[in-house]
Amino acid sequence: MSHGSITLNNVSRFYGEVLGVNRVSLSLPPGITSLVGPNGAGKTTLMNLMTGLIRPTRGRIEVLGVSPNQPHKLFGWVGYATQFDAFPKGLTGFQFIYSFLRLSGAARAECRRRTEQAIEQVGLSDAGPRKVAAYSKGMRQRIRLAQALAHDPRVLVLDEPLNGLDPLIRAQTIALFRRYADQGRHVIVSSHVLHEVDMISDQVVLMSGGYVIAEGQIQDVRSEIQERPMQILIRCNQPHVLASKAFEQDHVVEAQVLTDGSGLLIKTRDADRFYRGLNHLALDGIDIQGVAPADDNVNSVYEYLIGGEEVSS
Amino acid sequence: MIGQWCIQVLAVVRLEMRKTFFARRGLWIYILAFAPVLLYVCHAVYAPRERRRLAREAEAHPVSRQALDSIQKGLTRDQVVEKLGKPYREHTWEQRREHGKKRTHTMYKYTDGQCDMTFHFEDDKLRWTQRHDLDTLAKSQLIFATSFQFYFLRLAVFFGCVGIFINLFRGELLDKSLHFYLLTPMRREVLLAGKYLAGLLATVVIFSSSTTLQWLAMLWQFEWDSISSFLGASGWAQLRGYVGVTALACVGYGSVFLAVGLLFRNPVIPTAAVLLWESINPFLPPLLKKISMIFYLQSLCPVAAPPDAKLPPLIHLLISPTQPATQARAILCIALLTLIVLVVAGFLARKLEINYSTD
Repeated sequence: MSHGSITLNNVSRFYGEVLGVNRVSLSLPPGITSLVGPNGAGKTTLMNLMTGLIRPTRGRIEVLGVSPNQPHKLFGWVGYATQFDAFPKGLTGFQFIYSFLRLSGAARAECRRRTEQAIEQVGLSDAGPRKVAAYSKGMRQRIRLAQALAHDPRVLVLDEPLNGLDPLIRAQTIALFRRYADQGRHVIVSSHVLHEVDMISDQVVLMSGGYVIAEGQIQDVRSEIQERPMQILIRCNQPHVLASKAFEQDHVVEAQVLTDGSGLLIKTRDADRFYRGLNHLALDGIDIQGVAPADDNVNSVYEYLIGGEEVSS
Repeated sequence: MIGQWCIQVLAVVRLEMRKTFFARRGLWIYILAFAPVLLYVCHAVYAPRERRRLAREAEAHPVSRQALDSIQKGLTRDQVVEKLGKPYREHTWEQRREHGKKRTHTMYKYTDGQCDMTFHFEDDKLRWTQRHDLDTLAKSQLIFATSFQFYFLRLAVFFGCVGIFINLFRGELLDKSLHFYLLTPMRREVLLAGKYLAGLLATVVIFSSSTTLQWLAMLWQFEWDSISSFLGASGWAQLRGYVGVTALACVGYGSVFLAVGLLFRNPVIPTAAVLLWESINPFLPPLLKKISMIFYLQSLCPVAAPPDAKLPPLIHLLISPTQPATQARAILCIALLTLIVLVVAGFLARKLEINYSTD
């Protein structure tokens, strides 16, 4: 077991006869890891297992070398913002964070400083003295996030953290995750907004029906799917010429000129060879303005792997 | 390490105080605790007025206790009046019976200033008498002991502990806010200790205040001289005893209901089972009696509650006589029972999982 990563070794969890997750083996490195899957895929179960809120029926979990059965050690450097939208009654945002920080045994002044800092980080400084019960959904989401990061954790586990946030706050929150990840910390996020997952994740864990169906960097996952040709979008001035030349290569299975004539979509079984060949085509006088993979995003990968299942919304 | 645990326990207590003392859903606990105080206060206001009234009547219609005690059933009204003089109050009414017959009821009231006697005549013959003695300090102490043991301990403190201790974990599971505690760098056992202490603090403050106020209200009706001599003799020790028993009841029942809140999703059935077990305690064989809180609590009460004279003889036969435990033994046994239950509760807390959908 690595002390620098979060490892799950053949972990299963059943709720009676209902499957939560089954035979999950993962090793999550630092950076932003997104858990993606439809409702019931097992994302929240996996997060609850990592943080000891539930225990595995089988298997072993270690978070930076510590078992979740040892909360007194674990939560010194793990923060978890759950999806449960409930708070202890009667507390203001400041009191909520401060009171639970005090449970760690830290001094009053230190707790006060950290509380103020956390509230400021999520942009709730003005709302801090107000009762949490009077907060909007987005504010409650942010105060939960502030509570999770108030003790400056090395591992941040966040269940659907972008739900209910307006676009500006969403962007600020994503930037916050990125800052944490860039400092070599673990940020584990579950999300159903696939384009956001694409944007923020260093690696993804795709889940379905309690199983992990793929994990790793999204481009690597995509390239592993051999039975689906890679799609590459090329913007150029002579799409028809480029299409005919592309067809000369045996790994290209389809070339589709865009309706506006501004480029074409190539489907190839070997993207690396296609990119190498593209350099020669450019030398033949075709003005290539842009090349981009069209389906190495989470949405496509998920669709290829899961087929008809819908990601939770 | 122990210092750190103490800080954490205090932090949990602070966080819980608001919920245990000021929760809106806990209002009934205050009503349960302080309703007897209200009754004692009402009685304390009423009793001196009654005493003054009887004194006035006795002065206007003097009669001796000896004369009152000499009246036997079967005497006629005239015979009673001949012996005691005119009553200070009389009341007559007629009862219609079959075939147009009537029965005359007459009620005569006499007092010697210390007791209020009612003589009830049917068709001129004395059928029954009713005697109501004015309260004395000794009588009030027995009344207090009875109400304390049979109402306050068995119902008020018992259900107060149900309301506060079960909610420490179960209430938070229902509110879906328990996970915030479980996500802090704190041992589950420390969390349990903090919550238990918070519950204990609340119940001890609420119920001990009530006990003290009830006891003071019980004394209030008497002259200061008799109060002062009673306090100087055994009064304060008695109050300390009652407050101590109240606190120990909170200690014992609190631990039981904390464990119940951790173990059961629906606490109604286990609570009813504990209540039944505590209620049938007098009928249990001596060995089983000792596996209960109420046996030790009653052993510690400074005044023994008198047996109910109106209890049917068959029930009397079922009660198994057992020597009360000594003070040291009773305290030790309550502490031991509490410790065992708290260790089990600590084990349950360690295994506790957050699964709100099924809670």
